[in-house]
Amino acid sequence: MIASGLQIYNANPVFGGRAGLHFPMVGLLGGWLAGGRHWHFAGMWLFSLNLLWYGIYVLVTRRWRHRYVGQNDIKALQLSHNPKRRIYAWHRIAYTAIIPILLLALLTGIGMYKPAQFHWIVDFFGDWFALRVVHFFTVPAVLIFAVVHSVLALKAGGDRLISSMLFWQPK
Amino acid sequence: MTAEPTPQPPIPDDEGLPRRSFLQIAGYTAFGWIAGATGLTLLESPLNKLFEPVNQKVEELIFRPQKLIPEFPKSAIEPDQLIVNSFRGNPVIDLANFRLEVTGEVEKPLSLSLDAVRQLPYKSMVIRHVCVEGWAAIVEWGGVRLSDILQMAQPKSGARYVYFDSADGYFSSWDLASATHPQTLLAYEKNGAPIPLENGAPLRLASPLKLGYKQSKWVTRILVTNDFLRAPQNQQLMRGYWEDFGYEWYAGL
Repeated sequence: MIASGLQIYNANPVFGGRAGLHFPMVGLLGGWLAGGRHWHFAGMWLFSLNLLWYGIYVLVTRRWRHRYVGQNDIKALQLSHNPKRRIYAWHRIAYTAIIPILLLALLTGIGMYKPAQFHWIVDFFGDWFALRVVHFFTVPAVLIFAVVHSVLALKAGGDRLISSMLFWQPK
Repeated sequence: MTAEPTPQPPIPDDEGLPRRSFLQIAGYTAFGWIAGATGLTLLESPLNKLFEPVNQKVEELIFRPQKLIPEFPKSAIEPDQLIVNSFRGNPVIDLANFRLEVTGEVEKPLSLSLDAVRQLPYKSMVIRHVCVEGWAAIVEWGGVRLSDILQMAQPKSGARYVYFDSADGYFSSWDLASATHPQTLLAYEKNGAPIPLENGAPLRLASPLKLGYKQSKWVTRILVTNDFLRAPQNQQLMRGYWEDFGYEWYAGL
């Protein structure tokens, strides 16, 4: 979604318009605007249905009760000196926060895709520019999350975590 | 392969990720992203063939033929935001002898002068114009309802599509339902003044319902058809200048 989204972005950058910064072709998906749109409006099905399934799964299994950030984590960050407990708390904050960010990406995307039939989405964010900005900012948010999530996971799991994922022993 | 694991010293698990490993992983990831994106880009066209029917079905389902898209107050107009795009420059049009042809699957083909067009009921609206490039502009369009013109021509019962030919060689086609929607106009005014040549004078399509490339400028001929047109030499579908390149045909907003 990000790679094809940035391909679309290049057609008229949110910041600066045509004179604005364009993303280098190298990591983009689609080749041209229509190609970017083809990928984006195909991938959106996988993205949204996956997110929907995840939401249903979380509700049905009641994971939301104990898998996400809670009062105990806030308390741990205030009081605990155990580094593992603290990392764990930050980790839960990160992967709880990513969910509204993904939902926001979806909502603003639908707003830009169907601004006439779903005009209330555009109104909710104020105007067209605001809609684009929010949609675009989910990109660095997700990328930062991916890095932070990975770093925190590795800090918590270390070599044992890595070797559980690899087919070979890490050096 | 050993039968049992050799005894290992306890693995320290709070060392964190060494910088070299991080750089290796980052390097592989970046390489994978770039190689993947480059390769997968080649799939964009077949992917489109798979998904455009689904997406079109969805947009046809959410389209309401008589529902008005909320309009904006005149104070919301953004004159500077309306970028002028065209695939060539502006055409030269003989306004004195201009005729709007309406032909095809209609009972009464028309050849309307601009004065005749202006005799029809005037309608203006302040709506959001959205371009496929990603920008949008709130603009006031004034003109006649396309449905009024089509009604005069009386489309026959099998009519499904409406083609628009432009003076510069551009063309597009719409579904009949969107073409006859009350907010689809043939506009001759922009932001309260006669429409400039670069925006499509004397007549251009204007609607909040579809992306900008569907809103042909310099419309000279309207052709009502039962089916999509095909190129005589190879039977390729002809649905519009940009549409034939691969942009969505329905392009509903």
